[in-house]
Amino acid sequence: MNKTACPILEVRQLCKSYDEGRIEALRGVDLSISAGEYVAISGPSGSGKSTLLQLMGGLDTPTSGQVLFQGAALAASGLDNYRAHQVGFIFQAFYLLPTLRAIENVQVPMLAVDRRGNNRAKRAEDLLVEMGLEHRLNQYPNELSAGERQRVAIARALANNPSMLLADEPTGNLDSVNSARIMEMLIGIQQKHGMTLIVITHENEIADAAPRHIRIRDGLIEGHSPTRLES
Amino acid sequence: MASQLSFAGFARKNLWRRRLRTLLTLIGIGMAIGAFVALVGFSRSFEHEWLRLYSSSGTDIAVVEKTFLNTSVSESIGDKLRAVPVVAQAEPMIFNLMDLTPDVNALVFGWKADSYEFDSLTFLSGHRFQDGQPQVILGDMLAGNLNKKVGDTINMQGAAFTVTGIYHGGTALEAGAVIMPLDQLQQLSSLQGKVSGFHVRLRTAPEGEPQDHYLKRAQTEIEAALPGLNAQLASERASSNQFVQLAHAVAWGTSCIALLMGILGIANTMAMSVFERTREIGILRALGWQAWRVMLLIQTEAAVLGLAGGVLGIAVGWGALRMLATLPQTASIVSASVDPLHLLQALGISVLSGLAAGAIPAWHAAHLSPVEALHHE
Repeated sequence: MNKTACPILEVRQLCKSYDEGRIEALRGVDLSISAGEYVAISGPSGSGKSTLLQLMGGLDTPTSGQVLFQGAALAASGLDNYRAHQVGFIFQAFYLLPTLRAIENVQVPMLAVDRRGNNRAKRAEDLLVEMGLEHRLNQYPNELSAGERQRVAIARALANNPSMLLADEPTGNLDSVNSARIMEMLIGIQQKHGMTLIVITHENEIADAAPRHIRIRDGLIEGHSPTRLES
Repeated sequence: MASQLSFAGFARKNLWRRRLRTLLTLIGIGMAIGAFVALVGFSRSFEHEWLRLYSSSGTDIAVVEKTFLNTSVSESIGDKLRAVPVVAQAEPMIFNLMDLTPDVNALVFGWKADSYEFDSLTFLSGHRFQDGQPQVILGDMLAGNLNKKVGDTINMQGAAFTVTGIYHGGTALEAGAVIMPLDQLQQLSSLQGKVSGFHVRLRTAPEGEPQDHYLKRAQTEIEAALPGLNAQLASERASSNQFVQLAHAVAWGTSCIALLMGILGIANTMAMSVFERTREIGILRALGWQAWRVMLLIQTEAAVLGLAGGVLGIAVGWGALRMLATLPQTASIVSASVDPLHLLQALGISVLSGLAAGAIPAWHAAHLSPVEALHHE
């Protein structure tokens, strides 16, 4: 399925402040991301890049401004549904549930959408096989290497077949070999499924390799590569 | 084979991860439910035995004072009572609870030697007592506990009484009781001329009149003939006599305190569990779990704790009841049988206790901000 062309996600004058307005994480960001696009967002610590990802992923609500998914503004009441069906999150710290086996961790998002039991297990197995973890299905997170954990987390992010993958420093806890492998996998998934991929990173090598690289500083977009104007 | 994760399985794993804490919580709620099953079961069994006592003797109505505490009625009203057209027989009686030995107490009944209430007893040895004589008959269970046989004497309140008969009664109350001449018990209890009440057998209901209607009419006629007295149906009397009411009150009061402690135990466990799993709850929320689903997960865990505690408590309570039914001190007033409805009630209370205890932690978990929860250390 070709999802490229129209914007899947837009942010308009997005602001987010904390501590009763004393801390301004985002100060009016405008951004448009097309369906099927791969975008890297980089910036120094405290620049607001993770806050931007959280708002785009429906984990939080903006102080002002809007996030639009497929042209419709996200409503606070619909964020659970949005996260369950449209967004797959990948975190730096993996965030796997320690009491569940790899295959069970992948099924957790499916419990939110009432997919039937047998289908859940089969889907989770297929995804883990796709991640090259067919021999690690029944391991607990503490029995897996860091790279394997992140691959389980990617499988989990794909569980409900989302439109977008949002990855927050996905290679931050990995060595260079595993980092390269994880990025290769994410890009492969993005290309194979025509999925939108947004990666937050502080690694220039990853950011520069992305077809589109957005630099953010002090809560504002500092620049794009290649250069483009947001309407 | 691929391992399938179900919602219930997920809840079970969450409980199982802190085995010791879960076990201690189960013991807490189990003891509370055990106390409920044993105490309320005891009081209900007591009531049930009273009902059987009335029905086995053929008593339809008990005539007693209207007040709860003062239960003595003048023996002289017997003639007026027998003159009421619906009354076939009316027997004065006293019941009391007395210490027979330092370890054994028993219900003591005072009857007339010609009372119809003897009809429900089967003499295993000996015979009835005679009015005006210091004689008693003993239920077979009590006789066994006291190791008494016909011809032996027992001392009550400093007076000696000869055992003239050993009988088998249809209820645990009778099997563990002493029955003696009414006049002798009046003397022992300083109730000369007074009785606890009258037990009444009614004449057969006129043809065509429904039994319920007849009983109501009989009540009304007796109360009209004896102003100030209460004509209670045997079934009502079983639940309203002072012993039963006190037993119910003590049982429910003690059980409620125990249940409150159990609920606090589950609430503490669930609150700690939610606090420790704040980040995991954030992960669930990030993965699209709706607030209500997180709440349902926590409530499921709390309900499972309540249910498992209930099962444990039923086992404990049932065991306690069986033990009470064999002890000489309590065998006369409790039977080992437990009403299945009572067990279902215990399970229901147990699960509801779990849900009540889990409500606030569940609400808290469901309303955590996903971002704040994910950053929780």
